[in-house]
Amino acid sequence: MSRLEDRLRIEPDGTIVAYSGKVELGQGIRVAFARLVASALQVPIARVRIELGDTATAPWDMGTFGSLSVRTDGALLARAAAFARRCLVERAAQRWGSTTEALVTTDGFVQAPDGRRQSYAELAGAAPLVGEIPGDIAIVRAVGVVEAAPDERRAIVTGAARFIADLQVPGMLHGRVLHPPVHGARLLSVDDSASRAVSGVVAVVHDQDFVGVVAQRTAQARAAIDALVVEWGASSTTAATERRLALRDDPGIAEATAGATVIVDAAYELPHVANAPLGPSAAIADVHAEGAVIHAATQRPFGVRDDVARLLGVPPPRVRVIAARAAGSFGRNNNGDVALEAARLSRAVGRPVLIEWSRADELRAAPNRPRLAAHIRAGLDPGGRIVVWSSDIVTNPHVYFGDLAQLPDQLVAMTCARNAVPSYRLPAAHIAVTITPAVIRTAALRSLSAAPNVFAIESAIDELAARAGLDPLAMRLRNTDDPRLVRVLERVAERSGWAQQPRGAGVGRGLACAIYNDTYVAQVAEVEVESGPHVHVRRAWCALDCGTLIDPDGARNQIEGSIVHATSWALVEQLRHDAGRVLARSWDDYPIARFHDAPTAIDVVFTDDGVTAPTGVGEPAAVPFGAAIANAVAAACGIRVRTQPITAQQLRGSGG
Amino acid sequence: MTRLALSVNGVERAVDVPAGTTLLDVLRDELGLVGAKRGCGEGHCGACCVLVEGRSTRSCVTRIEEVAARPIVTVEGLATGDLLSALQEAFIAEGAMQCGYCTPGLLIAATALLARAPDPTDDEIRATLDGNLCRCGVYGRVVRAVRRAAGGAR
Repeated sequence: MSRLEDRLRIEPDGTIVAYSGKVELGQGIRVAFARLVASALQVPIARVRIELGDTATAPWDMGTFGSLSVRTDGALLARAAAFARRCLVERAAQRWGSTTEALVTTDGFVQAPDGRRQSYAELAGAAPLVGEIPGDIAIVRAVGVVEAAPDERRAIVTGAARFIADLQVPGMLHGRVLHPPVHGARLLSVDDSASRAVSGVVAVVHDQDFVGVVAQRTAQARAAIDALVVEWGASSTTAATERRLALRDDPGIAEATAGATVIVDAAYELPHVANAPLGPSAAIADVHAEGAVIHAATQRPFGVRDDVARLLGVPPPRVRVIAARAAGSFGRNNNGDVALEAARLSRAVGRPVLIEWSRADELRAAPNRPRLAAHIRAGLDPGGRIVVWSSDIVTNPHVYFGDLAQLPDQLVAMTCARNAVPSYRLPAAHIAVTITPAVIRTAALRSLSAAPNVFAIESAIDELAARAGLDPLAMRLRNTDDPRLVRVLERVAERSGWAQQPRGAGVGRGLACAIYNDTYVAQVAEVEVESGPHVHVRRAWCALDCGTLIDPDGARNQIEGSIVHATSWALVEQLRHDAGRVLARSWDDYPIARFHDAPTAIDVVFTDDGVTAPTGVGEPAAVPFGAAIANAVAAACGIRVRTQPITAQQLRGSGG
Repeated sequence: MTRLALSVNGVERAVDVPAGTTLLDVLRDELGLVGAKRGCGEGHCGACCVLVEGRSTRSCVTRIEEVAARPIVTVEGLATGDLLSALQEAFIAEGAMQCGYCTPGLLIAATALLARAPDPTDDEIRATLDGNLCRCGVYGRVVRAVRRAAGGAR
């Protein structure tokens, strides 16, 4: 149920303004949405303005995640624009006493065969465009009116783009919060005398386990937080129960296993990794008598609104959340923690407060991807067909912190069990996920459990192929009937020259694929095991089917970035902790992929049929690439690595 | 408080700040030049890079006393009026950004590179920019953008 007046407005100067509760985090949806609206209304893209993530103007939205923005809100905005176009044509037809069929739209005008024309702005000026957006309205895709929108890029290269921590609100003060060494630790005592003595300090706010400072300048706030002397106790978070969900529980697993001619029985394990955005978390809160205005780099403006309203004890509409430009954060900003901190400090001092987390805060106190371990036992028949697939997965919750027993099945399936069921024919399968509490904070991270689950699945598929003496491509093609999966596999094989790939001398190629939220992706990695030893990912190929392409270069950019991100997980990332005390403090302790780690060449090809509705591209290409790397390492040096990151020890063949 | 005369983007500026204040804090908090980012505050990520006498410098670990009277250029000073530099144009043309947080630092580091090596190889570009982190992973596009700008200047 969506109404046109909530989604689209035509201003007197002809600007088309479209509203969405989604937010821009560098994934490029502002451009994609503008292209969809411009195309459906047949106006130049420069005439379209997309307003994102302001709770005062946008309709309610659950959040920006799951590579769903173009698929859901993009599609809705395209329908809204198509509906607006229909309304404008009807108005013109009424004015001119003609039929709607006789009229055409071009460049922001409705035009009659006799040459009469009126602009959208004139037609819309009479009365606002209103009505329920039809679910089945046809979208005419315009050709030639949609060129790139350079304004966004220009703002970035000139330094004019304002990220959350760059914003200034009149009267704004600078805050910092002291985070506990272990999540949920009790604050036993605070000595703030040295902190209060720091020049420029306005307040030290101490309330139960929360302690923060407010100062005139950011450097003073930093000094004041460092000057606090506190004693922390044990964590107050009680051990939650475990939770188990069976995704497949077919009968006859034992018989099928006994009948298999090739069996793989292997355990795969992925560590905690940090979202680690390059820009640390930040928010500005201005709490006033009636409510609050919050500027937040959040993926859930409405969720933050509700959280802040609850903290302040006011109805949600009294809180306005304005989504600010954020550094790419890949799920970390589903959590509104920093906005809540800023609201507490602003409430205490009665002035707007900006909080910027430090790098150490971001690594120690931010939520992270859960661990995941998968024990897979799978078997083939003599023809190389999967006859049995058994997988026991143990992981942590991603986005839920309460009693795990209360976790709805659907939420488990969307988070911890995402892509736990292989995208192949499985005659007999036992697949179960056990969720255990994490001792560090956990969050969604690019594809949630899909990348870890697919790492295990696609590694096991290669192990099965190797045992059966099958080519990895043939193995996959033999076990799927899905024409879209077949197509991306065949395309990536073709682009990479899979059949004539180079072998030997420490160089190898690996293949992996996945279906992620209805986007199909197949990838090849070429690695070289260099002296050290360490793995260098030299090249990557990716074939991807996301239905109809909306913004080809934006999609390509997301796919390249996903491949680099997955390379980073595979080669260098691991967040270590000691009984919940995160050990990383700086980029030195938590390396991420640099220029020299990234594949030198990334080849991306789309299998766009121009008909299928668009699906997402922000996450899918990060899903199979880790397995492609591990499979390539096995091809290069015969060593099967079942964990990430890949270590020198493992490459020496000594495990670990 | 220390009173210092600075030259930033060709403009003489005077600031009163405590001794030991970092160049980044002065740029962002005193002069309102927020193009350089406070990504780590420890000189690790490169998001705070500015040019000091033409050299790419991590402003978050540079004390303001060290740069007094030396010409400083921030990302805001790379364009000449509305005319973007060849590198800025190349970053736009190659779409060498996603969220854009690391872009100011990368532009500064690449500007310094092209000033001393007008036609660098891809390996030189990667080696020189290796200290600038990008979490969105646009490394390949940045290499292409620097190459494009170098080609244009040839």
